[in-house]
Amino acid sequence: MSEWIVRQKIRIPFHYTTGRALTRFLTGLAECRLWATRCGECARVYVPPRSFCGRCWREITEWRELPAEGELMSYTVRPADPPLILGLIRLDGADTALVHRLGEVKLEELERVVRVRAVWREDRTGSILDIAYFAPAR
Amino acid sequence: MPRRVAIIATGQTKHAARRLDVNIAELITEAVTRALQDADLTMRDIDAVLLGNMEPFEGFLFPELWAVEGWGGYMKPSVKFNTGGTVGTTTAIAAYYYVASGIYDTVMAIGFQKQSEGHTQTAITTVGDPIWERSVMAGAIGNFAVMATTYMHESGVTEEQAAKVAVKARRNACLNEYAHLQMPDITVEEVLRSEMLAYPVKRLDMCPQSDGAVAVIFAEESKAQKLCPRPAWIKAVATAHEQQYMGDSPKRLAEMRSLIAASRRAYQAAGITNPRKELDVAEIYEVASFAELAMYENLGFCERGEGGKLIDAGVTELTGELPVNPSGGVLSTNPIGATALIRVAEAALQIMGKAGRRQVEGARTALATGYGGNAWTDILILSREKP
Amino acid sequence: MSREETTLRVPFLLDMEYRYAVGQYGRRFFTELRDHARLMGARCPECERVYVPPRPVCGICYRELHEWVEVGPEGTIVGWTVVRLPFIDPMTGEQRPVPYGFAIIRLDGASTSLYHFLDETDERKIRVGQRVRAVFREKREGSLRDILHFRLLEE
Repeated sequence: MSEWIVRQKIRIPFHYTTGRALTRFLTGLAECRLWATRCGECARVYVPPRSFCGRCWREITEWRELPAEGELMSYTVRPADPPLILGLIRLDGADTALVHRLGEVKLEELERVVRVRAVWREDRTGSILDIAYFAPAR
Repeated sequence: MPRRVAIIATGQTKHAARRLDVNIAELITEAVTRALQDADLTMRDIDAVLLGNMEPFEGFLFPELWAVEGWGGYMKPSVKFNTGGTVGTTTAIAAYYYVASGIYDTVMAIGFQKQSEGHTQTAITTVGDPIWERSVMAGAIGNFAVMATTYMHESGVTEEQAAKVAVKARRNACLNEYAHLQMPDITVEEVLRSEMLAYPVKRLDMCPQSDGAVAVIFAEESKAQKLCPRPAWIKAVATAHEQQYMGDSPKRLAEMRSLIAASRRAYQAAGITNPRKELDVAEIYEVASFAELAMYENLGFCERGEGGKLIDAGVTELTGELPVNPSGGVLSTNPIGATALIRVAEAALQIMGKAGRRQVEGARTALATGYGGNAWTDILILSREKP
Repeated sequence: MSREETTLRVPFLLDMEYRYAVGQYGRRFFTELRDHARLMGARCPECERVYVPPRPVCGICYRELHEWVEVGPEGTIVGWTVVRLPFIDPMTGEQRPVPYGFAIIRLDGASTSLYHFLDETDERKIRVGQRVRAVFREKREGSLRDILHFRLLEE
C-alpha cells in the first residue's frame, strides 16, 4: 500500500543552565582564557571543566588555566562548500578532549597536522564559538 | 520467592522554579550526596543506579548521559526510565525488582527534572498523538481541565472544595524544607480568584513547574537492618496502564480505571481491606486540586462522589484521620521526572520517623502513587513491619 | 554552595520535522472523512465497543477489529474546557492563539471519545452532556482538521 504521512514540526525554545564549572569556562573564553578543573584524587584534568569527578565521586575545586594549544587526536570531514572539518583536540595539560572546528588547513594536509592552536573571534560573547576554530600550530 | 526489600535512605534537592545556580549534573549530585550521607554510605556501596527523567523537558535526548558524573553512573550497571508522570514510581518499582530478584543488594533510584530549561506545557503537548490529539491539546493543564469538568458533573464536587486541596498543599509545604511553593497565608478565596487557565482549573489549582532531584536507596533485608534503624519495608507494588488515546477512558477522573486496578491489586497484596482505616498516610500524585479529590474516591478512601466531603471534613489534613500529602505534594513541588519518586521518598520518611515538622505521629503504613502518561498508575505500599 | 549564585544560560531552539504514518486504520478513517464527510469507528467482535479513533486491536479484549461502523456526526460533550493559558505550540514554536473551546466528544454510536475544538469560548454556555455536531470543511484534505470544530446544538 502507498504511504500516508503527516508531516509535523516540533519547535521548542530552551535555555540550558551551564552550572558552576561551565560558567567559569565560558566566561573565560570571552577573555581568551581556557579554564580546566583538576580532580584532587585521580588528578584528571577536565576540559570542559566540571565541578564533580564522577569516577572518584568527589567535588572538584582546583582550577588550572591551560594554553590555547594542544594535540589533534582525530578529525572528520563533512562534505560541503567549504568542507566542515571537525577535530578532537586535547589541550596541553588536559586529560579529556574537546570537539571543535578546524580551519586554515587544506583537506590534503590534514593527515600531517599534529599540533593545533585556538584562533579567537574578535567579538566574543562567552560561548564555545568564541574560539572561531583551531588552526595548525606552526 | 522475592527477597524482602526496604528503603534505607533518601535525599532531595531544594526544589525551586529555577535552580540557576547549578546545571543538571550538579543538581542531581546534590540529591545523591544527601541520600548517601543519610545512609552513611559511599558511591562504592551502591551496586546499581536507576535513573528517571522525562524527555524532552530539557530539550535534548539522553540528559542522563550529559549528567553521568553527577549521578554516579560511571561504570556501574544502570538503566534510565522515561514513563511520563509515573517515571519516578517506575524507577522505584524497578529498584525494588532489582533487589527483590537477588541480583543486586543495594540499588539507588534517582529522579530529576530541570523544568526551567524548557517549556513544560509545550513539551507535554507533544505527549498527545500527533495525528489525533496534538493540535487541540493544551499541555497537562488542558487535559486536567477537560477531565475536571467531567468529574464535577459526575460527583457534584465544587471549585471551592478543590480550592481547599490547593490550600492544604501549600500550607503543608511550609513544613517541608525542600518544597518549592510555600504559601503560609494562602486562602480558598485567593485560589478561586487566581487566573483562569482553562475552566475550571485556575493557576493555584495547578502544580508549579520545578527544578529538582531526588535519590532513594533500596537494600535487601540484612543490609537494610544493619544500615538503617527503622527501614521502610516495601509491602506491595502494583502498576496498571490505560488504553492509548486520551478519550478512551469513559469517565476520566470520575472513574480512573488504572488507579482502581493498581490500588486494589496493591491493597490485596498488603492485606488491606479498608484503606482509610489501615493506611496512616498517603503521598499521592495529584497534579491538580480536582485530581486529588477524584483520587480519594478512586483509591477507596471514601465512596464515589464523596471526595469533596472528605476535604470539607478535614479527613486528609495533616492532623486528620488519613493525612494526604503532608509534604505539600505535587501541587507544591513538581520536577516531573522526580515527582513520583519524591512521593516514595516522602512516604519512606514518614515510616522512618524522619519527616520532621510534617511527620504523621506513629505512621506505620504509607501509600505512594505515581500518575502519568495517558492515565497510567503506579502504587507502592510501605510499612514499618517486614512484609 | 551559594544559592544566590547564578550561572550562564545558553539558548537553543529545538526544531525538528517528523513524518508520522497515519496507519491502515487512520487511512480508512481519513479517506471516508475526506471523500464523504463521514466519520467511522471500528467495532470489537467481543465486547462490541466502537473505537474512535479506530485502531487494529481492542486493548481490553485483545481482539483484532475488522468491522467498521459509521459514527456521529452528532455527539455528546463528555468533558470540556476553554483554554486561556498562554503557551507555546510545539507544532509552530509560537504562542498558540487563545482562548479556544476544547472538548472530549462521544460521537453517537462510539464507545470512546475524541479530542476536538468547540465553536464556543463562553464558559457559561457549555456543559457536560450537551449535544454537538461536527462542522466539516468544504475543502477536505484527509486530516482531523477536516472537521473545523464541533458546534453546540440548540437545546
